[in-house]
Amino acid sequence: MADTMQLVLAGADERDLTKLGEYKAVGGYATLEKARGMSREAVIEEISSATLRGRGGAGFPMGRKLSLVQPPEAAGKPTYVVANADESEPGSFKDREIMSRVPHRFIEGCLIAAHAIGSRHVFIYIRGEYLAEYEVLKAAADEARDAGVLGDVALIIHRGAGAYICGEETALLDSLEGKRGQPRPRPPFPPIAGLYGAPTLINNVQTIANVPVIIDLGAAEYSKIGPEASPGTVVYSLSGNVERPGNYELPLGTTLRELIYDVGGGIPNGRQLKAIIPGGSSVPVFTPDQLDTPADFDSIQAAGSFLGSAAIIAVDDRACMVQLALRAEKFYMHESCGKCTPCREGTRWMVSLLDKIESGRAEHADLDLLRNVCDRVEGRSLCALGDFAVWPVRSYIDKYRAEFEAHIDEGGCPYGGGSSIEGVVAPIDQHTHSPVAEVPA
Amino acid sequence: MSLLDEIRVAAEPYPDKKSAVMSGLRLAQHEYGGWLPPEALVEVADALDLTPAHVQAVASFYDMYHLAPVGEHVVEVCTNLSCALVGAQQVVDAFSEELGIRPGETSGDGKVTLRTIECAGGCGYAPVVVLDHRYREPTRPEDVRVIVEELRNG
Amino acid sequence: MSAAETVTVSIDGREVEVPKGTGLVETALAAGIEIPVFCYEPRLGAPVGACRMCLVEVEGIPKLQAGCTLTATDGMVVKTAQTSKLAADGQNSTLEFILVNHPLDCPVCDKGGECPLQDLTFRWGPPVTRNTFPKRTFEKPIPISPTIALDRERCILCYRCTRFSSDVSEDDQLVAQARGSQSIIATFEDQPYRAPFSGNVIELCPVGALTSTQYRFEARPWEIQDVPTVCGLCPVGCNVEATTREGKVKRIGSRNHPEIDEGWLCDKGRFGFTHLRAGDRVVDPSRRVGVRRSETLSWDAALDEAEAMLRAGGANIVTALSGSETVEQAYALGRLLRQGLGAHCAVMPEDVNPALDAFRLPLSSIRDAKLIVILGDDPIVERAPVVDLWIKAARRAGAEVVESEIGAPDGGVAKARDELGERIRESERAILIWSGPAGNGGATIAGLAAELDLAEKPGSGAFHLPETANGRGVADGWAAAADGDEADPEPIELLIVSGDEAAANPDVRALAEQAERVLAISMFRSPVAGWADLVLPGTSYLERDGTYVNLEGRLQRLRRAVIPPCPDELAWIAKLAERFDVDLSPHSPQVFAELSERCYGGIDYSAIGEVAELPERAAAVEVPPAPKAPKRERGKGLRLVSYRPLFSGPAVERVPELQFQRPGSEIELSADDAKKIGAKAGSTVQVISNGTSVALHARVNKQLVKGVARIAAEHAQGLGTHVEVST
Ligand SMILES: Cc1cc2nc3c(=O)[nH]c(=O)nc-3n(C[C@H](O)[C@H](O)[C@H](O)COP(=O)(O)O)c2cc1C
Ligand code: SF4
Ligand code: FES
Repeated sequence: MADTMQLVLAGADERDLTKLGEYKAVGGYATLEKARGMSREAVIEEISSATLRGRGGAGFPMGRKLSLVQPPEAAGKPTYVVANADESEPGSFKDREIMSRVPHRFIEGCLIAAHAIGSRHVFIYIRGEYLAEYEVLKAAADEARDAGVLGDVALIIHRGAGAYICGEETALLDSLEGKRGQPRPRPPFPPIAGLYGAPTLINNVQTIANVPVIIDLGAAEYSKIGPEASPGTVVYSLSGNVERPGNYELPLGTTLRELIYDVGGGIPNGRQLKAIIPGGSSVPVFTPDQLDTPADFDSIQAAGSFLGSAAIIAVDDRACMVQLALRAEKFYMHESCGKCTPCREGTRWMVSLLDKIESGRAEHADLDLLRNVCDRVEGRSLCALGDFAVWPVRSYIDKYRAEFEAHIDEGGCPYGGGSSIEGVVAPIDQHTHSPVAEVPA
Repeated sequence: MSLLDEIRVAAEPYPDKKSAVMSGLRLAQHEYGGWLPPEALVEVADALDLTPAHVQAVASFYDMYHLAPVGEHVVEVCTNLSCALVGAQQVVDAFSEELGIRPGETSGDGKVTLRTIECAGGCGYAPVVVLDHRYREPTRPEDVRVIVEELRNG
Repeated sequence: MSAAETVTVSIDGREVEVPKGTGLVETALAAGIEIPVFCYEPRLGAPVGACRMCLVEVEGIPKLQAGCTLTATDGMVVKTAQTSKLAADGQNSTLEFILVNHPLDCPVCDKGGECPLQDLTFRWGPPVTRNTFPKRTFEKPIPISPTIALDRERCILCYRCTRFSSDVSEDDQLVAQARGSQSIIATFEDQPYRAPFSGNVIELCPVGALTSTQYRFEARPWEIQDVPTVCGLCPVGCNVEATTREGKVKRIGSRNHPEIDEGWLCDKGRFGFTHLRAGDRVVDPSRRVGVRRSETLSWDAALDEAEAMLRAGGANIVTALSGSETVEQAYALGRLLRQGLGAHCAVMPEDVNPALDAFRLPLSSIRDAKLIVILGDDPIVERAPVVDLWIKAARRAGAEVVESEIGAPDGGVAKARDELGERIRESERAILIWSGPAGNGGATIAGLAAELDLAEKPGSGAFHLPETANGRGVADGWAAAADGDEADPEPIELLIVSGDEAAANPDVRALAEQAERVLAISMFRSPVAGWADLVLPGTSYLERDGTYVNLEGRLQRLRRAVIPPCPDELAWIAKLAERFDVDLSPHSPQVFAELSERCYGGIDYSAIGEVAELPERAAAVEVPPAPKAPKRERGKGLRLVSYRPLFSGPAVERVPELQFQRPGSEIELSADDAKKIGAKAGSTVQVISNGTSVALHARVNKQLVKGVARIAAEHAQGLGTHVEVST
C-alpha cells in the first residue's frame, strides 16, 4: 500500500498553516532566511541538483529555467517571477489544495525564486474561479507583507477570468499584460523575454512550493525520494469513478494501480475500470492493462502518454468513449484561443465529426477523416493546446475503435441512453453570456 | 470610492497599468450588477487610458465576464469529464426542472441564471456547483431543491 | 561585410549567405525560394506565428516550425514544402483548415484575382473539400466605417488588421472579439472605425474580408490598370498606385516607398479621389456675366478673353499659387507671365527656405532616432499624416518624443533650446520637426538645428512640415522661370488665382477685392463662383504628368492616371504663351528638361524613376535670423489657434464617404481654462468673438497652453484672434 508522504503539504493536517504564526511555528520562512543568506548561484545549484521537474505539465527542470534567466544587471531590465496558478486542466485540483492549505510555503517558494533571479516582483496568476483560494492567499500575502517577510519584493496576485489557455505560460503573460490571453511564438522563451519583454521565470504553483522543501532538506536528501530522473513527491489529483477521490501527496513513481485501488479505494459499485486518464484530460488514455505503470514523467511517457499535472481520472465501464471524446473535444474547442488556424478550425471540425458519429449519422469514412484531421492538427499549432485537443480523441479512437464503429454500424450509441455521461455531450452551447451567441450545431 | 478610483488603485501595483484591465472589468461587473454593459466597458477604458474596443476585446475573451445581463444569482454546474462521470448532468437536469429554465437562461423573475461551465478544479469533490462564485462540493441532484429555495428567498 | 556578420543557411539544398538576424522568410527569398505566408508582415512588428501557413522542416527539430518566427542561424538546414513531404502536408492542412469555413465566394469577391488565399490554395491547397458541414455564416457585409466593409465569413483571422490598429497606428479600434472559432474582427459596439489610417487594413487583409466600400464590385483585376504615381494631398508625397478602369480612378493603393511611407497611406490620400467626379467640377471655361450669372465659353473664346485680360494687366498682374501645381505648371505660368509680360509678382502658397537642406534626412530615419523634438502648433497628423506613423514607430523602438505645447509663444523654440539643447547636442540621433504655421518656411527649425550642430551628424536632422503638397516645387518652378523685379503692382489690374487652395485663402480673397479683374484656374465651381471674371478648369494631381517636391526635398514624379475632363493646364498655358511670343512645350517632360537645368542640376526626367531618391544633404547655408514674431494682437478671452484639420479641403469635402472623419464642432481648451470656465468635456459652450457667437462642444486638450483655444478652421469662421468662452 502506498503511503502518503507529505513534504509540500507537510504539517497542514495538524495545524492551520494558513496563519503566519502557525507556519512559522513549523519552521516557516526560516528557509527563506537561509536562501537569502546563500548566493543566487548556490540557490540555483541546489534546485538544479535536486532535479526539480515542473509540476505544471511539461516536467521541465526548474533549475535549467532558473539558470536561463538573465539577472537584472546583465539584462539591463528588471526580472520577474510569475507563478502559474491558473490550474484549469480538467481533472487537476492540486494547486488549489496547496494554495488553500499551505499558502505561506508557496509564497516562501516564490520569494526564494525571486532571490535566485534577483527579482523584485512576484506575480501570482490565479484562475478567476478560485475565489476562496484567492482570499486565503491574499490574507497570507498581507500577513507576510505586514510581518516584513517580503522584504523589497512586491507580491501581486492577479486573478484570471475563465480561460483555460491562460495556463499556457505565454498566454498567461499576455493576459497579465492586459491583453487577450493568447500564446506567443517561442523563441523568445520567457526566461529571455517574458513579462513586459523582460526576463521572466514562470513556474507552476506546486513546482514553486517544492523550492523551500528542497532548500530545507538539501538537494541530496530530496533526490532520494522517488525515481532518480524525477525525484520528489507530487500531489496526485484523483477523480472520476473512484471510491475515494481527492488529492494525495505521494512520491513520484507510485503506480496507477496503487493510486486507483489502494489510495483511491477502487471503482465504486463493483464496476469495472475501463480507462485511465493519467495526466489530465489532455493526455492519451490508458487501458486497464497499463495499471502497473509508475506515475512519473518518464514512465508514463514511455508507456505512451504524459504525466501532465498528475491528474488521474478513472473511467468505469458505463461511460461511452465516443461521448467522452465529444465531451473532451467540446472543451478544447471552447478553450481554443482562436489565434492559430489548425487549433481553431481543427477543434471545431473534430467536434462536428464526433457529433455526427455520436448521433449515429456517420459513415466509416467520417471516422477515418476524423482520425486524419487529428494527425493534421497535431504538431502544427502555435501552442500545445492543439495537441491536447488531439491526444484524447485520437487515443480513444485507437484504443476503443470498436465503440466508434458500433455507433456508425448501429446508427447510434450502443449504450442506448445508458451511458453514465449521457446528456453532457452538448453543454458548451449552454455556457452562453458570451458575446457571440451563434454556436455551431 | 468611485469605480474609476477603485480601478486606478487596482492598477497601482503593476509596472504597466494596462495590466489592470482584468481587475477593472471584475470591479465594473460587480458595480453594474453582474454584467458588463457598454457603459461599463467605457468606464474601464477611461480609468486605464485604453480604448473601449480594447477593453471589449479583452472582456469577450474570458468566460467570467458577462456581456449580457444575468440574474441576481448565478448557478454554475461543471460538466467537464470528472464531474460528468459522477452525474453532473443529473444535477443540471435537477436545476433545470426546479428553476423551469434551461442552462444559459435566466428565470422569469430575474432571480437565477443557470449555466454549465468547464472544469472548475473541484474534480475530486464532484459534481461541482458554483453558487455566486462559491463552490458547493459535491452537489447531488437531491440537494438542488433546497439550494433553489434558498436562492429564491435570498 | 565581415564574415562574423553573415550566416549561411541551407534551404532546400541551396546554400545562402545572409546578414545575421535575417528572418527565415527573407533568407529563403534570397535563395529564390518562397515560404508562403498569411499573417507574417514585418511592418506590423514581431511575427505572431498565427496562421501556420509558413510551416517548414528544420533539421534537428522533430516538429514542423513556423518559418516566419525563425531567424537564420549559421548552419541551419531547412526544407520547405518544395522538398519536404511533411512541410507540404503541413501547408496543405493549414489551407484545408482555413477553407473549412471560408465561403469560396471568389466569383463575387473584390479580392478575387489578387488574393493570396486564392494563389496559395492554387499552389499548395487540397484539390477537394472534405468538409461536409455547414460553414460558419455571419451577417454581411458589416460596415466597419463608411469607407470599409467587412465580410466576416471570409476572414481567416490572421490578425493583420488588428495588429495594425494596435501596433502601428496605435488607435486600438479594430480588435478581435470572443474566442476560438467564435472569434470575430470588430469595433467597439459596431461604431465606425474612425482614425486617420484606417484604410490600410484593406490592403493588409490577405483575403476579401476587409474591402473598400468605394471599390466594392467596381472592377475585376484583369480589367484594371494600376498607375504608379504620388499622392498630391499633403507634403509627404506617399507613393501610390491609382487603379483605373475605363478612364476612371477606382481606388488608391500604396506603392511602398521604404523611405517615405513604408507602404502606409492616410485615409485622405486613400479615399480622397472621387472628387474627380464631383458635381461641381469645372469642365469648361466660363465668364462671369452680371453678379450671379456666368456663361460657358468655347476654349477659343476663353483664350481670347484670357489674352485680353493679360494684355490689359501687363506688369500689373499678381499671381496667387496654390502649392498643388506641378513644378512644370508653376514654371510654365512663370514663363508666360514673367517673361511674356514682366508680371513678376506672385503670392506664394508658403515660405520655403533652403537652409533646411543642410539637415536633410529621409523620413524613415525618424524611426531610428533616439530623441525627437516636435515644435509648432499643429499635431503632426494634421499636416503630414504618415510622419506620425514614423514617430510612433520611433517611440515603440524606445525613442523619446518631446512635443511642445500648442500655443507656446515661439512654437516652443526657446524652451527646447534651454531645456533640451544639451541633450539634443549630445544625442547620437536627434531629430527636430516643425509642425505648424509660422515656421518661416523651415528657417526657424533650420536655425535651431544649426545652433545645435546637427548638420555634421548623419543620423540627426530637421524637418519642416509645409502646408501644401508642392509649395516648394512651385517656388522652384516660379523662380526658375525668370529673373526680375517682384515689386507689388499698384493698382492690381489682374489677379490670377491658380488652384482651389489659393481660391480658398482669405488673403487671396482680399487681394481679389483690390484687383480690377480676376482670372481663376479651378477644379470646382463653388470656390470661385461670383468673384472670378474668367474661370478656366483645373485638374487634379491624378490627372497630370509632372513633378512634385515633397517635404524632404525629394523630387518625385506624378503620372497621369486618368485623362482629365478638360485640357490640362500645361496645354492651354503653352497656347496662351504662344500669343506672347513665349515658346513653351505643352508636355511636361520637355518643360522639365528646360527647368531641370535651372533648379535641379539638370537631372533627367526619366532618371527620377518610380522610386525616387533623396538628394544628398546640402552644404550648410547661412540661416537668416528668424524674423521677429509679429506682435500678437491683444484681445479679450482666449487666444484662438485655428487649424486646418487633416480631413478638410476641397477634395475631402467632395467625398461623401469621408465626411464622418471630419472634426466635430469642437473647441479645445487647456485643462486650466476648461476648469475656470466650468466646461465639462463634451458639454456645449458659447464662443463669442468679433460679434459672432457659435456653440461648440468643449474638449480638454492636455497639450494646450493656458489661455489658448483651438478650433478647426471650418468651425472658426467669423471668429477673430481671441474668443470669449462661456457655459
Ligand atoms: C493549453 C495549456 C494549458 C496549460 N495550463 C497550465 C496550468 O493550468 N497550470 C500550469 O501550471 N501549467 C499549465 N500549462 C503549462 C505551462 O505552459 C508551463 O509549462 C508551466 O506553467 C511551467 O511551469 P512548470 O515548469 O513549473 O511546470 C499549460 C500548458 C498548455 C499548453
Ligand atoms: S479581417 Fe482580414 S486581416 Fe483581419 S484577421 Fe481577418 S483575414 Fe486577417
Ligand atoms: S506566416 Fe508564419 S504563422 Fe502565419
